[in-house]
Amino acid sequence: MANAGPLSNTTALRDGSALRRVEHLGSAREGLGEWRLQRLTALALIPLGLYFAGSILWLVKSDQVTAAAWLASPLPALLVILFVLAGFAHALVGLRSVLVDYVHTRARLLAASLLVRAAAILLAGASILAVLKLFLGR
Amino acid sequence: MERPLSPFMFPIWYRFQITSLLSILHRLAGIALAIGSILLTWWLVAVASGGELFAATHAFIASPIGMLLLFLWSIAFFYHLSNGVRHLMWDAGYGFDIPDVYRSGYAVLAATAVLTALTWLYVLLA
Repeated sequence: MANAGPLSNTTALRDGSALRRVEHLGSAREGLGEWRLQRLTALALIPLGLYFAGSILWLVKSDQVTAAAWLASPLPALLVILFVLAGFAHALVGLRSVLVDYVHTRARLLAASLLVRAAAILLAGASILAVLKLFLGR
Repeated sequence: MERPLSPFMFPIWYRFQITSLLSILHRLAGIALAIGSILLTWWLVAVASGGELFAATHAFIASPIGMLLLFLWSIAFFYHLSNGVRHLMWDAGYGFDIPDVYRSGYAVLAATAVLTALTWLYVLLA
């Protein structure tokens, strides 16, 4: 332990440049970006998810006019769009990690990943358009 | 290439553990929420469109199947949220001792039950 030579220093992950070394020489490739995105969106989704769930509860007995008026006001429109963006990004990373674990051929994995990505983009796009339509008052 | 694989975690090869159960439930809840996002988008589009689409959406949500789906999704939502916070604590380096892992696991189950119960009490009484 006392004489950690130059060779062990190049492989050990104990100094400040550990992350850079893992990215450059180690096993980390695009996975690190996904890992980070999953955690950052998770953090964002704590307040955004609670806000959305609380709003739905508040709207639970109201009609379409009330719900539309709520979604058309600036703060709810912004927060719901952010909730949708963070939610679908988070779901995409999560579903992809499930696919990677259980779909064992490359072709099927690629097909399934593309399908899930397309679905997430379509759903997120439709959600944001719906909010924007109300916000812009058309 | 036929590589040796470790046995699947459920149901007969390993002794039952709450740790592995909560882990797979986190994934299942996440998948359920991803599927539930279809209804989220549908509802947003229905509010934006109004008219018949909103009436049909409202009728579906208020139907027994719609209420059952919402109930299951509320459990999935609160579970994934609570257990997600537990995961973020682990990411930050806290709570790795086995007694702590069990304690936080039971706390997650309790939080899920309480939040789901409060939500539906509010819905039924509102």
